[in-house]
Amino acid sequence: MSFDFWIWVSAFLTLCVFSFLYKDNPFYKFAEHLFVGASNGYLVTIIWHGSLWPQGIRPIFTEGNWWLIIALIIGMLYFTRFFPRTSWLVRIPIAIVMGYGTGAAIPATIQADIMRQIQGTVLTPQNFARWNAGSSGVIWTILLFIGVACTLSYFYFSREHKGVLGVTSRIGVVFIMIGFGAAFGYTVMARISLLIGRLQFLLGDWLGVLQ
Amino acid sequence: MKAFEYLSKIDRRIIYLVIGVVVILPLIFPTVERVRVMAPAQSLFNAVDSIPEDMVLMIDFDYDPQTMPENEPMAVALLRHAFKRRIKVAALSLYVQPLALALKALDQVTEEFNARAQTSADSIIYGRDYVLLGWQPPPIVPLLEMGISISNVYSTDYYGYRTDSLPVMQGIENFNDVGILVSISGGNAPLWWVGYSQVLYGVAVGAGLTAVSASDFYIYYQTGQFSGLMVGMKGAAEYEELVESKLQVPGERKASEAMPSLTAAHLAIMVFIIIGNIGYMMRRRI
Repeated sequence: MSFDFWIWVSAFLTLCVFSFLYKDNPFYKFAEHLFVGASNGYLVTIIWHGSLWPQGIRPIFTEGNWWLIIALIIGMLYFTRFFPRTSWLVRIPIAIVMGYGTGAAIPATIQADIMRQIQGTVLTPQNFARWNAGSSGVIWTILLFIGVACTLSYFYFSREHKGVLGVTSRIGVVFIMIGFGAAFGYTVMARISLLIGRLQFLLGDWLGVLQ
Repeated sequence: MKAFEYLSKIDRRIIYLVIGVVVILPLIFPTVERVRVMAPAQSLFNAVDSIPEDMVLMIDFDYDPQTMPENEPMAVALLRHAFKRRIKVAALSLYVQPLALALKALDQVTEEFNARAQTSADSIIYGRDYVLLGWQPPPIVPLLEMGISISNVYSTDYYGYRTDSLPVMQGIENFNDVGILVSISGGNAPLWWVGYSQVLYGVAVGAGLTAVSASDFYIYYQTGQFSGLMVGMKGAAEYEELVESKLQVPGERKASEAMPSLTAAHLAIMVFIIIGNIGYMMRRRI
């Protein structure tokens, strides 16, 4: 069993959170509030020491980068949100962030998420080889192509799903369901992994039961 | 028929208890479960293994305590691989919270290697073998600007040393000098590296993901946008297996040790799903 005070604090807080599995209780609420408070305190401190002071305030006063005052003022306009008479000023920093962010994101999204994904669905020898499955790569690529085409047809709502469209959309539903099943399986794996991580801590680091 | 009604309405606390027991027992009484390495982890291992001497492995630590059980074993295994092969490592984070966890993983693996080192050349030394560049907000700045100059984005490292003065950064100018960038994340950070840094500068990207986001990321592996993947605790266990079997690097294998518990929990959940469905169908028949 550990003699480290902070291990005991971590173990106590872990058990407080786990107690919610039985039902809501004051121990859980205590841990929840402590987490929110500690996280925000940590974040404010790190942002001051890691960003605001070394990259904003210090360069202005010690290196003479006076132009940074403009950036600081624009950033501080976010706080006008708290005052009804000046709250409209918050649009200025939001507009700058949105403009820059959207400008950078649109070409990136088109290239990485649309163009490359379309290329990856086309029946080419390069895509056959990517499966690392030998000659079976052809089959997997064709299956992928059918899956993508049929799934897209399911989301075509301008015509009633009858005839050919009815068949392809039903096949699309099968692919969607397989996708949901895979996502659910991965979600279970992720959540159980987190539980295992905490139990490794409780049984190993705290109680010393694990070798 | 009451039995079927009971089966379809099992108290969730009983389910939690059963899951708890099936997870705890394999941890206390460990069994050997061989980890079968899948193609995504093998591809990532090969990509890291083939980094030329004059290039750097860039690791983006972007996980926080919530996803640490899945992501931390990935980071540890990756660092063991890099340090064993004497590949230079530049670590960074797009957000502030993961920095402490990056430091923890770097310190752990450095201590492991230095405990076995005989000479200074065998040791892992900060500034010579690796650097923690730190955190530079907002994330879009490192994503885009490191393609031009890494030392402009991170003029000083986590400890305040000038990065251009560190031996590990000599000859490392921008993404052209990065062999592969591996983003270990509990969120979408790997996709940002692909969307911004890879599209603009062509940097190779690998990823360590939580299992919950795996189905969103596999499509990028299939198209070759990710050079390799570690998916969830299983992916971490696969990389641990590769590092130990191919490079003979000993050390704690937290992900591999968790595999029997993970398998048992999956089986238990499958049994519960079957029981629930039988109960539901029998009640409908009645």
